Amino acid sequence: MNLKNKRLYNNPVGVSRFTGLLLITPFIIGFVIFTLYPFISSFINGLAAADGSFSLENYTRLFQDSSVRKAAGVTIRYAAVLVPLKLIVSLLTALLLNLEIKGIGIFRTAFYIPSILGANLSVVIMWQYLFTADGLVNQFLELIGLSPVSWYGEAGTALSIIILLRLWEFGSTMVIFLAALRDIPKDYYDAASIDGCGRIRSFFKITLPLLKNVIFVNLILQTISALQEFNAPYMITGGNPMKETYTIGMLIYEEMFTYWNYGYANAVSWVMFTAIALIVLFMYAVTRKLREDSQ
Amino acid sequence: MKIKYLKTAACCCAFMLSACGSDNGANTRTRTEPDGSLDKCTIRFSWWGGDDRHEATLEAIELWNELHPDITVKAEYGGWDGWTEKINAQISGNTAPDLMQINYDWLINLSPDGEGFYDLNKLHDTLDLSGYDAETLSFGEVNGHLNAVTVSMSGRGLFYNSEVYEEVGASYPRTWEELLALGNTFGSKGLYPLDLDIQSGGTAWYLSVVYIQQTTGRQFITMDGRLGFTADDIKMALDFYKSLEENHVIRNVQTRTDEDGNAALYQSSEFINGNVAGVLEWGSAIGKYESVLDSGVLESGPFLSDGSGNSKGWLIKPSLLYAISSDTEYPDETAAFMDFLLNNAECAEILGTSRGIPASQYAFDHLNQSGMLTGLSYESTVMLDELDTVTISPYMELPRMKEFYNTAIEKVSYSAADTSEAAQEMYDSITAYLETFK
Amino acid sequence: MKKLPLYIILILISAVMLYPLLWLVGASFKTNSEIFSSVWFMPDSFSFEAYRNGWQTVTPFTMGHYFLNTFKIIVPKMIFAVLSSVTVAYGFARFDFPLKKFFFALLIGSMLMPQIVTILPAYSMWQNFAGFNFLDTYIPLTVPALFACEGMFVFILVQFFKGVPKEFDEAAKIDGCGTVKTLIFVLAPCIRPAIISISVFTFLWTMNDFLTPLIFIQSVEKYPLSLALRLSVDSTGQGYEQNKIIAMSVIGLIPSITVFALAQKKFVNGITAGGLSG
Repeated sequence: MNLKNKRLYNNPVGVSRFTGLLLITPFIIGFVIFTLYPFISSFINGLAAADGSFSLENYTRLFQDSSVRKAAGVTIRYAAVLVPLKLIVSLLTALLLNLEIKGIGIFRTAFYIPSILGANLSVVIMWQYLFTADGLVNQFLELIGLSPVSWYGEAGTALSIIILLRLWEFGSTMVIFLAALRDIPKDYYDAASIDGCGRIRSFFKITLPLLKNVIFVNLILQTISALQEFNAPYMITGGNPMKETYTIGMLIYEEMFTYWNYGYANAVSWVMFTAIALIVLFMYAVTRKLREDSQ
Repeated sequence: MKIKYLKTAACCCAFMLSACGSDNGANTRTRTEPDGSLDKCTIRFSWWGGDDRHEATLEAIELWNELHPDITVKAEYGGWDGWTEKINAQISGNTAPDLMQINYDWLINLSPDGEGFYDLNKLHDTLDLSGYDAETLSFGEVNGHLNAVTVSMSGRGLFYNSEVYEEVGASYPRTWEELLALGNTFGSKGLYPLDLDIQSGGTAWYLSVVYIQQTTGRQFITMDGRLGFTADDIKMALDFYKSLEENHVIRNVQTRTDEDGNAALYQSSEFINGNVAGVLEWGSAIGKYESVLDSGVLESGPFLSDGSGNSKGWLIKPSLLYAISSDTEYPDETAAFMDFLLNNAECAEILGTSRGIPASQYAFDHLNQSGMLTGLSYESTVMLDELDTVTISPYMELPRMKEFYNTAIEKVSYSAADTSEAAQEMYDSITAYLETFK
Repeated sequence: MKKLPLYIILILISAVMLYPLLWLVGASFKTNSEIFSSVWFMPDSFSFEAYRNGWQTVTPFTMGHYFLNTFKIIVPKMIFAVLSSVTVAYGFARFDFPLKKFFFALLIGSMLMPQIVTILPAYSMWQNFAGFNFLDTYIPLTVPALFACEGMFVFILVQFFKGVPKEFDEAAKIDGCGTVKTLIFVLAPCIRPAIISISVFTFLWTMNDFLTPLIFIQSVEKYPLSLALRLSVDSTGQGYEQNKIIAMSVIGLIPSITVFALAQKKFVNGITAGGLSG
C-alpha cells in the first residue's frame, strides 16, 4: 500500500479503499463501452464533413445555423415552462394520492396510465379531438363565453399543446414524490396540528422542507428529459407551425435519419450534451445551499 | 490491488480500440462477382409495407421456396415507421439484406457514385429486364451503373368526393381556371373543393410545380440535379398557391393545421364529413382515402390543363424500386429471385397491385389478362399514361428539398414573407443544396 | 360522508386520465371513418373481428409469439439491471474509494446522453464485438443492463441505501458476514421495495421501447411486441385497418397496466423506505 497516500478513506476497519471501486467496476466497464465510446465516436463522427474529410466545420456551422438556434430557443422555452409546472402538478397529485382511503390503489394506477400510453396513437388522436378548431377545449371556451383559440395553427400556442401532453403524463414524477411523502413520519403532522398549524401551513412548514432532496432529483430528471424531448412534438405537431414546436431533439433525429446527415447530427448532439451538462451543473450549484440548509 | 485495477482499465482501453477498429474494417470489403450458377444458399429480402403487401409477398416467397428449394429466401419486413432508421443502420454497418425494396430518392444518398448498390448490368444472365423500356430502366441508373429496377410507376392524381360535388352542383374541374372558380361555389357553403398540405405529403408545392411546368415547359429539377426553374418561376408558383388559398379553393395552412392538427387528410373529420371534398394523392396510396368514405364515393377527376389542349407538366416517378446490396455474397441467386418477383406470371398474380401497378410489361400484361387491374389507382394510372408527363427527378424528392418547399409555402401562407422574398430564399437554398451533390 | 367530495375529485381526474384508454378500447371495434370522426368512445356495433385478426397477424406467428419474445428480453434484462444496479449503488453508498466523486459525476453524466446518438455507434460495436457478430440476437438489448447502464436506477438506489442505518452493517460484520454477504442477507432485504420499483420501470420501458429492437433485430420471428405492433402501419401504402392496429395495441398495453396495478403498492412503498426525503 502506498504510505504517502494523503487522503484518509472513511471505510470501516479492515475494508480496503478498493472494495468500493471493485463494486462499481460493472459501472466503469459499462460506462466506457456504452457511454464513453459512443460519446467519443459521436464527437469524431461530428468532425466528418459531407465530403468525408475531417474538420471542425460541423461544429462551427451549427452555431451560425438559424434553425439550430431556433430549435434551441423552442427547447429551452419548453423546458422552462414544463418542468416547474410538472413538478407542481405531480406534487399536488401525490399529496392527494397519499391519503389513506379505500381504493386509493385503483386511483394510483389510473393516474399512472397516461405515462404508460406515452405517445401512443390514441393519444395523438385524442389530442386532435381536444385542441383542433372545433375540439372540446374550444367548445368549452365558447360555452363560458371566451373566444376559441387557434391551438395547432398559431405560432404562440402550439407549444402549449405539447406541454399539456407531457404535463398530463406526470406519472413517474408523481410516483417518486408519493414515495417520499409516505416516508414522512405521521407524528410530525400530529405535533404540528397540536401546535395549531393548519393543513396548508404544515405543508409549507413540514412537507416542503423535507421534500427538498426529492424535488431536486425530480428537477434534474425532468430537466434532462425535457431538454431531450423529441417524441411528443414529432407525433403531435410535427414541429409545426413555422418550426415553433421543433425541438433540438427532433432536429437531431431528422438530421440523422431523415436527411442522412450523420456528421452534423452528431455535432449538434455533442453540443447539446455539453449544454445539458452545464445546465445540470448550474442547477446543482444554485440549489446547493438551499438543499443543505435543512440538513 | 492497484495493479489489478490498472489491468482492468487497460483491458477496457484495448476493448475500445478493437471496437473502434470495426469501423475501419468497412473499407476493406470485397465485392462478390457473379459466377453464373445458382448455388444452395439463403438470401435476405427486406421491404416495408402494410398488411396486404406483407401477406402477398410472404405468399410469393412461399411459391419461390417451393420452386427453388435450394435458395431459401428469408423475409425481413415491417411498417414504414422507422424503416429508414433501420436501413440507415444496416447500410452504415454493411449488413444490408441481399435484396431491398428502396425509395426513389435513396439512390442519391446511398449510392452517390453508383457504387452503393450492386450493378445489375452484370447480372443479365439471371435478371431479365426485357419487360422494361430504356427510359424506365434509366430511373435506376446512377453514374452508368444500374443500381435499381423500378417496381411500379406512380403519379399524383386528383380525387373527389362525388357526393359533395353533386350536392353543391359542381362538376370536377378540367382546367386551372375551373379549379379556381370552384372556390366560389364551395366557399359560399363553407366547403372546400380540394386540400393541399405541407406535411409529409407536401402536395401544396407539388401542384404549384405542375402548374408552372405546364405554363413554362421548364422542368422544376432536372434528372441530373439542377434547378430548372428561375427565381421568377418559383415566385409564380407561390403566387399560384396563394391564389388557391385566397379563392377558397383550399384551406390556408393555419386553418388546415387548426382543423387537422398533424394528422393526414384521411384521418381528418373534415375530409370524412365532406367539408373538404378533394385530395391530390399518389394513385398507389389512394386506398386510405377511399376506405374512410362510403364505398364508391371517391372518384378520380381529370388532370388539369390550360384549356387549350396543353396538359403537360404532370409528374410521375418510380414509386418503389428493388436494389441488390453491394455486399451480397450471392448476386446470381438474388438476381434470380428479383427476376421472379418482377416477371414471373404466377408471382405477379399473387402480388397483384400490392406494390402499385407493375412497371414490368410481363407482370402488367398478366394482371391485365386476369382482370386484376381495376379501381381508382388503375384509372388514374391510365389517365396519366395518356398525358405528356414529366418524370420527377430523385433530387426533387429529397427530404431536405421538401423542407425548402414547405418552408416557403408556410411563409407565404402565414404572410410571414411576400412571394418574391420566399421565392428568392427557396431559390438560394435549393441552389446551394444541390451544389453539395456535385 | 366527509370523504365524498374527495372521491368525486379523484374520479373526475381519473376520467381525464383514463378516457384515451377507454376510447382506444372502443375504437378497436370501430370502422376507419368512425375512428377519425367521433370523440365518443362507444362504437356503433361490437365485433371481435379486429382482435381475432390482430392476434393472428399477417406474419406466420401469432401475437403470443411476440409476447414471448418480449419476455425473453425483459426477464434477463430485469435480472441484470437489478444485480448490477444494486452492486454499484452499494459501492457508492457504503464505501469510500479513490475518485468516488468523479465516478458519481460520470454516473449522472451517463444519463445526459441521448439514445439517438449512441445507437449507431452501438450498432457497429455489436456487429463486431470481440470478433463476434451479435446483431439479430437479444444480446445487445439485454447485456448492457449487466453494466448498470441505467444511471437513474443507481441514483435512486444510492438514496435508499443511505436510508438504511449503518449499524445494520456493523451488526452483520460482528456476525461474521463479509462485504458480499452483508449486501445479500442484510441490506438487500431492506431495500427490496426499491428493487421492485426498478424492476417495474425496466418492465414498462422495455415494453414500450421501439428504436433499440428496430435497429438490432432483423428477423421477424425475433421481433418483440413493440415492433410487431407497427408491422401493419404503412402511411405510404394503400391503407390499413386502423381498428386492427388499435386492437393489437390494446392487447399490448395489458401487461404494462397489469404489472403496474399489481406492483403499485410495493412500488410506491418501495421508493418510500429509502432516504429520499429529508
